[in-house]
Amino acid sequence: MTQASSPAHLGHPLPRRGLERLDLLLLSLEALDLNGGEAMVWMSEQLGFSELFPNRVELWKRRCHNPLRRACRRGPISAIETDALIRILCQMADRLYPMLRTLLSTSEAPELLAQRWQLFQDRLAELIRERMNPRRSGVQQLLDPAMGAAERRQMVRSLSLAAGEGGFERLRASLLDAAA
Amino acid sequence: MPPPEESERPRPLIPANPMLQSALMKQTLRHDQLSCRLQVDGVPDVSAGQAADAVGIITGWRLQWVGRPELEGEREHLLALMEVVLPYARHLISGVGRRFGGEERPVQIEPDSGGGHRLELRSRQSGNPSLVVQLDDAELADLVRVLDDLRLDPRLQLSLALPQPLPLRQRELAERLPLQRRLAAPVGGLAALAAAACLALILPPPPAPAPTPSAPAAAVKR
Repeated sequence: MTQASSPAHLGHPLPRRGLERLDLLLLSLEALDLNGGEAMVWMSEQLGFSELFPNRVELWKRRCHNPLRRACRRGPISAIETDALIRILCQMADRLYPMLRTLLSTSEAPELLAQRWQLFQDRLAELIRERMNPRRSGVQQLLDPAMGAAERRQMVRSLSLAAGEGGFERLRASLLDAAA
Repeated sequence: MPPPEESERPRPLIPANPMLQSALMKQTLRHDQLSCRLQVDGVPDVSAGQAADAVGIITGWRLQWVGRPELEGEREHLLALMEVVLPYARHLISGVGRRFGGEERPVQIEPDSGGGHRLELRSRQSGNPSLVVQLDDAELADLVRVLDDLRLDPRLQLSLALPQPLPLRQRELAERLPLQRRLAAPVGGLAALAAAACLALILPPPPAPAPTPSAPAAAVKR
């Protein structure tokens, strides 16, 4: 967390599992924000990534390195590109932080909270069915209303803790975790 | 020319008294979230040539929670809070909830059995009971955000020796699974091996092979 020291893992490309998680977190943001796809392109321009992702297709192509995708792209993705995606994710999570916080707060009315989670679950399931390979066990688990609940909560919690400038290093280190 | 009156004399912009100087240069950094507010008081380190609006020396801090007692302390306590809360958040992103800060540390945080997080703050003075704060996920995220805002605040010109977030190793990630699930595979394997061994002992041994006719012939030849 110190700004002066340069961490040893900087410049390492994300492993397969990290790419999966990164794309699923971006998908969760799209489920929270109906205009999330457009917001992602706008955020990319705001953060100065226009050269890396000149248009939405290029941004989409980088996200398609997720092995769970229906149309998965093979080949390496550079650390610069994944870093840019993580920065976009952190800034979008920062923008949507009030919504993330509402989902995680225990002080909300339980009925209202349940409705919000249901809405999030439905939107996420719709996006997953549209874009992910349904034959993969990870996708099936996410689509399962009961089994996927813990994973959905974990994704929302991760987004809340990775929101903003300060969350970048935390999330990046997490996406570089060893395979369990 | 007669000397000017006392009231007409130009007053120096910075008083000569050092105590008064530092009082005038006192800065307050405030970072707010919905459930908490972190306020850090300090003064610039003039000997290091810091600007007047910088904070190079922390004189005190306060963390105010909605509906909870206010926390306050010195620089060491603030660093201790950051040293346990930020790595705890880093591990939570990977789905690993484990305790940070031991018995000898002033701050400790761990997952609560009820589903939230248990932040414990211990006083140095003997006899003072430790303060325990139960946080839900949203309050923890608020706390992490105010600490992030503070450490990234350009006005805070103080080197914070905080641990760098690093990828977790396979062994650390295994902590995500409860002990029963982690032990299920090796215990199952050992049980299967024991069952196979018992079955092998129960089965009758195969009959000894009959002597081959070539053996006596070989004896006669000798």
